[in-house]
Amino acid sequence: MEFINLDLLEKAVWAGIAALGFGILFNIPKKVILTVFILGFFAGVVKFVFLSIDFNVVTSTFLASLFVGIVSIPFAYKVNKPIVVFSIPAIIPMVPGYYAYKTILGIRKFTFVKMDDMGHEQLLNSIFSNGFMVLFILFAITVGVSAPMLLLGKDMARKLKD
Amino acid sequence: MSKEKSIRNSIDLLLDVCSLMMTSGANTKRIIDSVNRFAQVLNLKSHALISHKSIIMTLVDLETNESYTVVTQIPRHGVNYSVVSDVSRASWVAVNHQWSFEKLYNRIQEIKNQKRYPFWLELITVSLAGAGFARIFGGDYLNMLVAFTATLIGFSVSKTAHHYNANTYVRVYLASMAASLVASLGILFGIGQHPDIALATSILFLVPGVQLINSFNDLYNNHILNGIVRFVSGFIIVLAIGLGMITIMLIFNLNVLG
Repeated sequence: MEFINLDLLEKAVWAGIAALGFGILFNIPKKVILTVFILGFFAGVVKFVFLSIDFNVVTSTFLASLFVGIVSIPFAYKVNKPIVVFSIPAIIPMVPGYYAYKTILGIRKFTFVKMDDMGHEQLLNSIFSNGFMVLFILFAITVGVSAPMLLLGKDMARKLKD
Repeated sequence: MSKEKSIRNSIDLLLDVCSLMMTSGANTKRIIDSVNRFAQVLNLKSHALISHKSIIMTLVDLETNESYTVVTQIPRHGVNYSVVSDVSRASWVAVNHQWSFEKLYNRIQEIKNQKRYPFWLELITVSLAGAGFARIFGGDYLNMLVAFTATLIGFSVSKTAHHYNANTYVRVYLASMAASLVASLGILFGIGQHPDIALATSILFLVPGVQLINSFNDLYNNHILNGIVRFVSGFIIVLAIGLGMITIMLIFNLNVLG
C-alpha cells in the first residue's frame, strides 16, 4: 500500500474538514458531526487512492460516492437518522466546482478576448471537455451515493419501521 | 398552544410539513413519503402536487369521505438537515406509536423553532472548508490562507445580503465578487505558489451542491419537473458565481487559466 502516503492522507483530512464545514452550513444534527468528518475523510482517501493509480476522475469520484452510499447505511441505523443527513455533506467536497470554474473561465475568454480561429478551437475544446466533466462527475456522485439505497430501498425502509 | 383535530387544521399541518421539508432541502420522494405517513396517522389520505414554489394538496377524511383542498406558497429555501432528519424521524415514530393530532402538531412546532448553529461557527467552518479545497487542488499553505480569508469575506457578504432579503442570484453574485476580489489580491501580490487555485476555490462554498444532488435524485425518482426546476435554478446560481468572478477579473485585467 505504498500509494497511501502522508500527502494523500493530509488531503483526505482536508476533505473531511470541508465536508464538516458544509455539514455545519447545512445545519446537520449535532450527533452526526463526527460521522460526517469520518465519512468525508474516507471518501477523500478512496478518491485520491484511485486517482493516484491513474483512474479517471469520474470513475474515482463514482467509486468514492458508492463507498459513502454503502457505509452510510449501517451508520444510519446506528444514529437513527435519514441517510442524506450525513451522506450528502460527505460528498459535497467532490462536487466539481473546479471544473465548473474552468468552464466559465473558458467561456469568458471565448467571449471577451480577441483571437484567431486556432485559439477559438482550443478554447471550445477546453469548454466542452470541462463542461462534460462537470456533468458526468455530478452524475457519478448522485448515482454512486443513491445506488445502494435505490437497490435496497424498500426492505431497508421496512426494517427501519420495526 | 393546542389545537383540535379537524380536517382544516390537519391540512394546515401537513402543508407546513411539506413546505418545511421543501425549504430545508429534502428531495421530493422523501417529502411525499413523510407526508403520506403523517396523513396515515391522522386517518386521512393525502394527494399532493409539490413544486419548488407552491403546493397543492387535497386531503380526504377516510371516515367521513369529506375532502379539502388548499394551495399554498413556499417561502425562501435554506438547507437545514436537522429539520429534514427530525421530520422524517417523527413520521416513522408517529406511525409506530399512533400519535394524536395534538402531539404531532406540537412536535412539528418544536422542529420549526429549532435553533441553527451560531453564525461565527458557520463562518469559521465554511472558511476552513474553503482552505481545505485549496489544499485538495494542490495549493500550498499561503494559498490556503488566501482561500480562507476570501471565503470568510464572501460568506459574510452572503449572510448580510441574506439578512436584507436580497434576491438569491444577486446575493450569490455579490458574494462571489467579494470572495474573488480578496483572492485576486492574492494573484496581484503573488501570494503563495499557485494563487489561481486560491481564486478557484474561494468561491466553492457558493456552489449549490444540495440543489444539484437533489435535482438528480428527483430525476431518478421520476419527479422530472422538480428535477429540472432544481437543476435550472442550480445552474443559474453557478452562472451568478461565474459572473461575479468574471466581473472582478475584467476589473483587474487578470488572465489566468481558461
